[in-house]
Amino acid sequence: MIKISGTYQLAGCSKSHPATAIVYDTGQIVLQYISGEKINDNWPSDYHFSDVIPGLRVDLILADGALFIPDDKSFRWPQLSSKNLLAEWLESHWFVVLSSVLIVPLFIWSMVNYVLPAAAHSAVAFLPDSIAESMGEQTLYILDKTQFDPSELNSEQQQQVTKLWQQITRQLDLPADKYQLHLRKFHMGANAMALPNGSIIVTDDIVTLMEKDPNALTAVLLHEVGHVEHQHSLKMVAQTTATTMLFAMMFGDIEGAGELILGAGTGLLQSAFSRDMEREADAFAHQNLPKFNISPAAFADAMELLLSSHSSVYSSDEDDAESPNGIGQEKNTLNHWLQYLSSHPQAKERIKSAQQARSNTH
Amino acid sequence: MESGLSTDRTDIIKFSGQSGEYFKLWFVNMFLSIITLGIYSAWAKVRNTQYMYGHTNVDNNSFRFLATPVQILKGRIIAVIVFILYIALSKINPLIGIVMALAFLVASPWLIIQGIKFTMRMTAYRNVRFSFEGTYGGVIVHFILLPILGAITLYLAMPWVIQQIQQYIHNNITYGGKHFEQKSSAGQYYIAVLFSIGIALLGAALITAFGGVTIASSAAGPSPGLILVGLAVFVLFGIVNAVYQTIVFNHLMKTLEIENVVSFDANMKTIPFAILVLTNILLIVATFGLAIPIVKIRTTRYIASVTQVTIKPGIDELVNTVDGEHSAFGEEAAGLFDSDLSIV
Repeated sequence: MIKISGTYQLAGCSKSHPATAIVYDTGQIVLQYISGEKINDNWPSDYHFSDVIPGLRVDLILADGALFIPDDKSFRWPQLSSKNLLAEWLESHWFVVLSSVLIVPLFIWSMVNYVLPAAAHSAVAFLPDSIAESMGEQTLYILDKTQFDPSELNSEQQQQVTKLWQQITRQLDLPADKYQLHLRKFHMGANAMALPNGSIIVTDDIVTLMEKDPNALTAVLLHEVGHVEHQHSLKMVAQTTATTMLFAMMFGDIEGAGELILGAGTGLLQSAFSRDMEREADAFAHQNLPKFNISPAAFADAMELLLSSHSSVYSSDEDDAESPNGIGQEKNTLNHWLQYLSSHPQAKERIKSAQQARSNTH
Repeated sequence: MESGLSTDRTDIIKFSGQSGEYFKLWFVNMFLSIITLGIYSAWAKVRNTQYMYGHTNVDNNSFRFLATPVQILKGRIIAVIVFILYIALSKINPLIGIVMALAFLVASPWLIIQGIKFTMRMTAYRNVRFSFEGTYGGVIVHFILLPILGAITLYLAMPWVIQQIQQYIHNNITYGGKHFEQKSSAGQYYIAVLFSIGIALLGAALITAFGGVTIASSAAGPSPGLILVGLAVFVLFGIVNAVYQTIVFNHLMKTLEIENVVSFDANMKTIPFAILVLTNILLIVATFGLAIPIVKIRTTRYIASVTQVTIKPGIDELVNTVDGEHSAFGEEAAGLFDSDLSIV
């Protein structure tokens, strides 16, 4: 039996009285005024306790909402389970603080590298085709309005590209209603891009650039087909959405730091995601080039041609910080080749892996 | 604390929170929130708030935060789902994104009300809860129309607008069913603004006069003179801000009361408050935000120590008029979409 002095706070009104609580080993708690007059009798099923917070009193909360507030701040009721006390214990030890400093980065790293991509990719499988369809149509519509002009290639050049494209669709047995080639004039030079619905856009400049090296253009087209086959646009949306969510969930509640981590973190991750996707599309091109009796080295040629044609533009296009809204979508599509050419090591690496793919096939 | 009060009792607010203790609590809760992908953050929020409330003591009674983690978690889950839909749909179809953004705009006054209401209803003192009774129309007028008016009058009406907003919030807070009454005057806001502008101009003139000499005398590049000038501008900002805040805060407290229940007084001083704010900024910057809990403790302790509360006999007659059933969705949605409304 323990006797604790404190305050009896009535339920639902502001009245209170000094009181004593007598706690019995059976769990029964009797409250009485200091005069000794009994207030009430409480059994474990009638009461619970307020949360145990470091440095604060733990209130006894009665069935009707009345409180008994002990005078002693450090008093902990014997009925409190270790579960009730766990949070307070964690919160009052410095070594818990220190070990969490180590665990958090590890945790985020494994989430971002393993858990999220896997989750996003399996989510994409459930998305209906109509989503890819409307995403592609809208993106092309917006690009046509804002960035593209109708192609100014002569009919001979047009025929050459169309012939290459038909070879590809026939050889790879691609559904003709899904895969469509679009020729456009684009002020930012040689480029090719794939939309989620299978529309593949090549700019006038890239056709002219590779006019004398059709194998290089085939490699580029195959790379774009690779993007569509791997559903990269949708995966990108799923993955960035998932990452934004994860970061918002983990850090959204943390004042100040939240927005900063959110912005910088997702931007960095997005470029990491798209780097992996480029590798996948490259690999698709490497694998399929031999089907056209073209050496994977054609891919390296294409890269070198693109590099030379864009060498003047490198510095102008450094920002790849994507906003998590609709506008980023078009920009991402547009920058596609530019972005990866803009950092030499990556372009070099891609050329090298193309050359490796050649030595593997020979 | 014998109940049955016959005369008024006046005392400062006593705040007993400790920086080190709260830092550990805050940090461990942040850690648990991260590794549970934010689920624990509902518990974290409850525990952080309980710590701050529980250590705030008026007339030997502490405040209590009554929200349960599950209430907050529910609100947060709904808000997160809406947020996912918004991001995903606006990527797939920008038009849906725009429609959703508009819908959010229309809903935001309601969300603001729900947010304040939730916080108030979950705050109790002596087993009696607070509440908020603002209306959709009132929020539109005070949070949308008046600020626009303030802007189009070239900010000449802004002090009045801010006075109106703060008065609106405070007048609609109730305790035990009784309304707070804020009888503030816009004149004090104008005095506060004029004083701040005056000191800003005076300070700028002094810095230009002395700083001009120091910079001119030193060579180009980041000289000690330039650093001194930067420091002076920082300190000036702190003082100007503190001049405004102290005048407004003291005035607000002096004119706030619930008749026959409680009245307030405040004696905030410019220089100590300026030092507090400036050192807070330095602390946060130097620790990349880790000092946030320490800053919260320091600030609350200072504000409590300069705020006097007079408890009047009528407080014993109060009866709780609010139940605990309330969704935290408004508050969470407002938080997630970043439409917090801290004005002071």
